[in-house]
Amino acid sequence: MSDILLSGRGVTKSFRGLTAIRDVDFDIPAGAIFGLIGPNGAGKSTLFNLITGYYALTGGEIRFKGEDISGLPTYRRNRAGIARAFQISKPFPALTVRENVRVGAMFGRPGAREAEDVVDQALAIAGLEELADRTAEGLTVGSLRKLEVARAFATRPSLLLADEPCAGLNPTETEEMVGCLRKVRELGTTVWLVEHDMKAVTSVCDRIVVIDAGQKIAEGTPQQVVANPKVIAAYLGEPLEDEAG
Amino acid sequence: MTLFLQTTLNGLVLGGIYSLAAVGFSLVFGVLGIVNLTHGIFVVAGAYGALVLFTKLGIDPLLGIVPIGLALFAVGYVYQRTIIQWAVSRASLVASLVVTFGVAMMARNGLQLVFGPDVHTITPSYSFLSIPLGPLRIDVVRIVALGASLVLLTVLALVLARTHFGRAIRATAQQPLAAELCGLNVKNLHGLTFGLGAAMAGAAGAIIGIVQPFTAASEVAWTLNAFIVVVLGGIGSPAGALVGGLLLGLINAYTAQYVGPSLTQAAMFLVLVLMLLVRPSGLLGNAFGESR
Amino acid sequence: MNRALVLLAAIAVVVAAVLLPLWIGPFYTRVIQLFFFSAGLAIAWNLLGGFAGYWSFGHTVFIGMGAFTAAHIVTRLGPFGDGPLSMVLPILLSGLLCGLFAAIIAYPILRLRGIYFAIAMLGVSQVVGELINNLSWFQGGVGVFLQTPLPAGTAPEDFFYYVFGALLLASILIAIAVRKSRFGYALLSIREDEDTAMMLGVATERYKIMAFVLSAVLVGTLGAVYGYSVGYFTTYTVFRLDFSLNMIVFCLIGGIGTLAGPVIGTAIMLFITQVLLSRFLDIHLLITGAIVVAIILLMPGGIIGALRSWSRPRVRGGTVATETGS
Repeated sequence: MSDILLSGRGVTKSFRGLTAIRDVDFDIPAGAIFGLIGPNGAGKSTLFNLITGYYALTGGEIRFKGEDISGLPTYRRNRAGIARAFQISKPFPALTVRENVRVGAMFGRPGAREAEDVVDQALAIAGLEELADRTAEGLTVGSLRKLEVARAFATRPSLLLADEPCAGLNPTETEEMVGCLRKVRELGTTVWLVEHDMKAVTSVCDRIVVIDAGQKIAEGTPQQVVANPKVIAAYLGEPLEDEAG
Repeated sequence: MTLFLQTTLNGLVLGGIYSLAAVGFSLVFGVLGIVNLTHGIFVVAGAYGALVLFTKLGIDPLLGIVPIGLALFAVGYVYQRTIIQWAVSRASLVASLVVTFGVAMMARNGLQLVFGPDVHTITPSYSFLSIPLGPLRIDVVRIVALGASLVLLTVLALVLARTHFGRAIRATAQQPLAAELCGLNVKNLHGLTFGLGAAMAGAAGAIIGIVQPFTAASEVAWTLNAFIVVVLGGIGSPAGALVGGLLLGLINAYTAQYVGPSLTQAAMFLVLVLMLLVRPSGLLGNAFGESR
Repeated sequence: MNRALVLLAAIAVVVAAVLLPLWIGPFYTRVIQLFFFSAGLAIAWNLLGGFAGYWSFGHTVFIGMGAFTAAHIVTRLGPFGDGPLSMVLPILLSGLLCGLFAAIIAYPILRLRGIYFAIAMLGVSQVVGELINNLSWFQGGVGVFLQTPLPAGTAPEDFFYYVFGALLLASILIAIAVRKSRFGYALLSIREDEDTAMMLGVATERYKIMAFVLSAVLVGTLGAVYGYSVGYFTTYTVFRLDFSLNMIVFCLIGGIGTLAGPVIGTAIMLFITQVLLSRFLDIHLLITGAIVVAIILLMPGGIIGALRSWSRPRVRGGTVATETGS
């Protein structure tokens, strides 16, 4: 496998004694589209929140490009190259689509001069050029999701954490979003994708990590994962020890 | 030692009144999420109402609580269902802050036009009596005021905890949408809650009238006091208001006695700022959870 | 609009403002001087409240600190020469001291959001005001003198007309520079959604503090000049709730978070209260309150917002967006 971009060892998070993530290890190679799946409440969003620094780790460590980033504040992690597109779209409602993306492009890295080029590129990848001058308030769900990805991409990350970018989209929009993620990867950004739409996940991901009740239960290619009895059990709803998440 | 006890006693009495004056603000903040800057107006309006009833009709302020409470309940209900509801639905919760501020300015000006800028007090027959309590002395009006405050706070707490209406209010505060889906008329409940808050403020005003001098301009102070009480005690519950109010009363009394009477405001706000920084949800937290 | 045209119009306005005192009497000179002062305050408030969304309810603290600092610097350390230039150093130092004070309280107080920040600032202004009023060293209770070394043959209202005018111009230029820069985008993203901004690499903490300090420096400078313009003042002349509130109201009426809003809002409100209603002092509050309520209910985006949605109705992109879960 190629260089490891992001790795976690023994990643653990408890909330007031409730363990949401327990001892999870992962290695995300540079240049991949990785998947993260698991039943509702398995801890997927929590894991992403730990990686972006929105929550502090209870135990373990997270390394990015070989450096331990566990202690860095969120904005520093972004500057180091981790971006996130939210499951629940969080646009800046009063700003235009272009301004939203511009905020992503402007901060953190030297060479803010080319920011405008990056903005155009991000808008193009997401297919948002025509909506660029509208305010984000009042966009459709599909456009908001694209905006999330465009804005995150505009920070020129080496890793994009995409949290259910296809949730609630119709098949055409889902296809557009999958294409958009592929383009992001072609431009050199590794993608880690949380997704419920199994068709989207299996069609786009190289490898998939499966977590359930806060623990990693499987990892492998889409075919391996889909055939894994543990995964099937988790999805069919075997009695769970722990409803944390 | 006597001085300390006397100061403590004064502070607790004052604190009881602060609690009552703040509980309506706290309820509205907790249930509707609105910081009602008109709150002080309700308090002062209650005081003026008691003044009019007392001087024109000879009705004792404590009896006057009933008509004043009813009148302010009606005013509060209509006010919430119209202006505040419009502001929230057309703009935002922050807009409601500014709207209530604008209404407060108008009302203060209106009260000044009607009653003049002079300081008023209400002096029922028992105004100048005081009772010895061991080495301490306490004015009868203050005991009466404290007693009335505690009774009203208890009644409110029981209403919230035990009645169907109280449960409906609490449900609405926690999950407005879910409450609506369960068949509760949330708009109406918000109006009623606001009316209840206004009525409590008016009742507090009537009591304050017999204890302290007041003018239309005092409304600012009563609004701020209510905010401080809520920050100290916690949002939304009579118990929080009581804890916050008593603390504020003690801070006020100790500062006046031991630091200097002109520094009470500074002390109150210093505690407010520190409290916000250390524990912004108040000592007892938000009665309705972290939903806001 | 064409850039050159805007520039030309701006120059014309400035020239007209420079010549205006030759035509109008002292009353209107004073009204416009008050407008310059108030608009400058509104712009400074808007840097933090409008751009970053941190509504301070206690900005008068910087007016008061600015004025008192200038007075104490002049009486205790001065004078710094004679003639109007001797005012420069005390005024600058006062502005800087306000900035320093803001920088000190910024870290804890800017952790508070929304209404809590607003009220905490009100608290700060009350505490500082009371301390200046009651600690004898500051002489807030008895008052302090701050004499203006007027240039020979100049009426005070004319002199302060130009001083406040220049400060307003400076404030406008600063606001434009901020809005057009990275700094401005950072503040807007903080206003819109602070957590997301952080996720996008915006150092929110630092930008908030910068906005707070810049706003404080501007208000402090204006406050020091205001101190000179009144000549003698006590705590209650300069620590005034209505100063704090007017800054908000003026921005609100013009359009919070816009560049022109604070200026337009100030102009309209002062025209109504100082000119139209100058003989009805006892209903000022009533009218101001009514206007505030009407603006919020009828045009929540202020005048600028109303003009914008009127001239280019916002296009809704198909179905309504989902919950943005704030």
